[in-house]
Amino acid sequence: MWLWLVLLLSPIIASIPIAVAWEFNRNIGRKLPVLSVVGLFISFLVTLYILLFVEEGRFSYPWLPGIEIAFIVDYLSKYMGVLTGFIAFVIGVYGLEYMKDDYRLGWYWFFFNLFTASMLMVVYSDNLLSLLIGWEGLGIASWGLIGHWFRDDDELSYVGVINRKVGFLKMFWSPSTGGWRAISTIRLGDMPMFFAVAAIFAFAGNLNISQIDWELLIEKIGSFGVAVLLLAFLMGPFTKSAQLPFSEWLMTAMTGPTTVSALLHSATMVAAGTYLFMRISWYIEPWKIHDAGIEFVYLLVLFLGLISSLYGALVALASRERKVLLAASTMSSLGLMFAAAAASKWIGEFAIVVAFWYLITHAFAKATLFLVAGHLIHETHDRFLCGDLEVAKKMKLTFVVTIIATVMLAGIPPLTAYWVKSAMDEVMHALHEVGEAPLFLLIVISAVYSAFLAKFLSMNFVKGRHVHLHLHGGGLMKTGYTLMVSMLFLLLAVILLGIDEHVEEFVKAGFHATSFMVGVLVTVAYAIGFVKPTLETKVGQVLADRFYLMALNDFIVPKIGWAFVTAVDYGNRAIDFFTHRAIPGLFESVSKGIRVLQTGRLSHYVQLALGALMLLLIVVSVAGW
Amino acid sequence: MELTIPLIILALGAAFGLRKPEISLVTALVALALSIVVEAAILVSAMIAFVAILNIAALFLMKKSYLRGVDYALVSLMLIATVVALYSTSFAMLILAFILVSTPTYMLVMASESGAKVDVGVKYITFMVVATILFIIGAALTIYGGSVNSESIQTVGICLLVLGIAMEVGAAPLHYWVPDVFDTADPIPASIIASLAKFVPFVIAFKILFTVNTEKALLFIGVIAAISMLAGNIGALTSNKPARILAYSTVANMGYIIAALTVFYKPEFVYLAFAGVLLQLFANAFGKIGFFTAIREEGTNSVFSYIMALSFIGLPPLLGFWGKFYILAALIYANVMWLAVLLVINSAMSVPYYIRLANLLSGKPNKGLALCIIGISAIIMLLTVVPPNWLIDSSKVLVGYFKLGGV
Repeated sequence: MWLWLVLLLSPIIASIPIAVAWEFNRNIGRKLPVLSVVGLFISFLVTLYILLFVEEGRFSYPWLPGIEIAFIVDYLSKYMGVLTGFIAFVIGVYGLEYMKDDYRLGWYWFFFNLFTASMLMVVYSDNLLSLLIGWEGLGIASWGLIGHWFRDDDELSYVGVINRKVGFLKMFWSPSTGGWRAISTIRLGDMPMFFAVAAIFAFAGNLNISQIDWELLIEKIGSFGVAVLLLAFLMGPFTKSAQLPFSEWLMTAMTGPTTVSALLHSATMVAAGTYLFMRISWYIEPWKIHDAGIEFVYLLVLFLGLISSLYGALVALASRERKVLLAASTMSSLGLMFAAAAASKWIGEFAIVVAFWYLITHAFAKATLFLVAGHLIHETHDRFLCGDLEVAKKMKLTFVVTIIATVMLAGIPPLTAYWVKSAMDEVMHALHEVGEAPLFLLIVISAVYSAFLAKFLSMNFVKGRHVHLHLHGGGLMKTGYTLMVSMLFLLLAVILLGIDEHVEEFVKAGFHATSFMVGVLVTVAYAIGFVKPTLETKVGQVLADRFYLMALNDFIVPKIGWAFVTAVDYGNRAIDFFTHRAIPGLFESVSKGIRVLQTGRLSHYVQLALGALMLLLIVVSVAGW
Repeated sequence: MELTIPLIILALGAAFGLRKPEISLVTALVALALSIVVEAAILVSAMIAFVAILNIAALFLMKKSYLRGVDYALVSLMLIATVVALYSTSFAMLILAFILVSTPTYMLVMASESGAKVDVGVKYITFMVVATILFIIGAALTIYGGSVNSESIQTVGICLLVLGIAMEVGAAPLHYWVPDVFDTADPIPASIIASLAKFVPFVIAFKILFTVNTEKALLFIGVIAAISMLAGNIGALTSNKPARILAYSTVANMGYIIAALTVFYKPEFVYLAFAGVLLQLFANAFGKIGFFTAIREEGTNSVFSYIMALSFIGLPPLLGFWGKFYILAALIYANVMWLAVLLVINSAMSVPYYIRLANLLSGKPNKGLALCIIGISAIIMLLTVVPPNWLIDSSKVLVGYFKLGGV
């Protein structure tokens, strides 16, 4: 019990002093971020403790009738927890320097730590309702952090070329817009998810992910019902993990501080969506269930993931902004995670393990790249891809770290991601029932992925335009990403030495001929991307403009919204008219009509009374009462 | 006849009273006391007698009325007639009671401290004469139609009877005299017309309708009730003079009570409807006495005026709530849903003008007898903080006297 309280509350409690102090005395407030990082460190230690010393199993505590707060330690959560704790802590250290001159530190650190705590809640929760608490915490914290620079006064924090327009679309986004786009997209997915959770409780009578009886659910609401239920549930992960067509918010989430992007894109938020999908798949065990509804959903997720991945890879390939390139690449990776996890329907548990390992590898590499990008933005005062060999010379460590991270993540043999990707090739190759398309898509995506990583390296350190560097400090930042990138070596060691029970398969897959072919292809793509990082074409422009998908967020959905607003406005006015004008007016005129009869003249009264009398008697005799 | 002695005392007192009003006052009170001890269900009689005492007390405020001395006897006479109407099962006695309640008001309405108000009297008497004729003819036709088994005669009789009541008590659409008389007559006589005079017509109507027990003309009664509620409440909404508001409030209240008449064909629920009618009449009577006295005194303290206004609105646990509640319950049991719904809507509609009335009459301290009258009228609204089960029992007893036994 205490373990969980310390794990979840220490980051939040540690961030409260700065959140409060910042409002009263900024001089004191500037000294307090260290305390927040200490809170993150405590959480990290607890996750480490859970990984090393806590037995796998459930830990449940009474809460509501029929619902308990349940935590679970299993293969997925113990690694994911350490990953989250470690990355959040390292990024926290990096942020001590990166954010030191910021104007809203209280806000930043409170939401940063809330973000971490929420993610840990999502990671360890076995109960869907307590998981939703963390899920919502992620939503609110991401809104707060993406829109952190709410004054919208620093062009460095925007996304897109300022004042550029394509047709009716504004192609640049401020931090406050970014925050709004994030929270509005996520809420869209959360709502069906809430209903799905309620439906699960209503039909299965249980909200513990590890205990929900899906066979019983299928029996109760049929294949179609389960398909609808699962899709409604997955709307949450889809929006949080920015799958098509909900990807736009992720691109403009780059308006937040780079530390936020790094955290958001590696171990929290977007990872939460894929993680949740892996987690429920782990316990649904779809490979054991033969049901058309389940099969349909997994097929849909498989292809949605692959297509989102391809989209993300193409956008990243053409992107000209450091962080947007990385954001699109994250989307691509998330797609692969979804696809691989969905393949479990046909392959079994192994597919989820592959997806999960890809998540881990990607998290470290992507966090590194974001931290590098943040450092570069700091030193060059430019958020677009730029920098020639001078940058590489003056920032040697950064250069080396970037090379390692890109090469490791691209899947060049025999480095870390190669083994995981090989296993993924294997998984996609084994999807005989689905056909050859998944494997083909995966190979294309891998090649493109490798190419844009090389482009990132090349355009920032070698072949970009010349920039003026403002070198100063950076010690903590360098420590941060060096630490982060070193984890990739640790992973490599884990894989090659076979420390984990599942990774032996990865190594075997890496020695298959097809995997090696793909590895060669990826290497070639990397080389091409490095040598020729730019190519101006019309197609490239469309890719860089993200296929104009922003029209959905910025034009179509608002139009629908305005249609609703107009309709509601008319209804509102009608109600106002009836309640404030028509009904009172009617009563007033009737009342005046009644009172105007009182003329004070007796003859008039007698006429009226006798007239009414006669009228009533006539009515009675005609109606025949 | 137990009532002979009070009547003789009353007549003697009235005769002496022209010279010495105090004698009349004493004899009136004695007659009053004698009249109520005679039968069962004494609590109801006592309550009505209490209304009469408040009326007499209010008349005592008028120092220079042309009727001074006789007016006490007149009120006492009205009370005796009311008690007679409650217990008599003889048709002729009921008609007599009706006339005995009606005619004293002809004289009272003209009373004021600055000579007789003849114009008000003429308006009032004209309507009352027509009403009395309609009522008596209607009553006679109803009973006759029952005895010869002619439904059409009976229906016409009931219609005329109801129209007669409507005109007599001032229900729409025959209410034209009410706003004028309430506004231009002296407030004290107006309060008597609005309180003590209202009991007898309804008691008699209940008895006659209960005796013939037909479903004919039910809808007609309901429609009159609905029109009266709506006209009264809507009319009061835009009135700003306290006396006018009270006039329309009377129209509305008479509508509620006429609505209760529709329950008569379900004998098993008549006691409930009758209890509601009695409570509503009490609430109406005490409220009207209090408010009219306040009009005469040009205001009262806000606690009293608000208690009375809230009772009229029907806020539990005040007297006015229980009246409406029993009527509503009876209507629902008897399955006259539409009228029940209308009654509730109308109660809600009445809120603004009663609050306005309470505001208009607030903020002036009274003293002496006026304070007593208004205070008692207000405090008696709190009588039903304990649910008035005693009234249900009394009502059951009184329903025993409903079946007319002949002439």
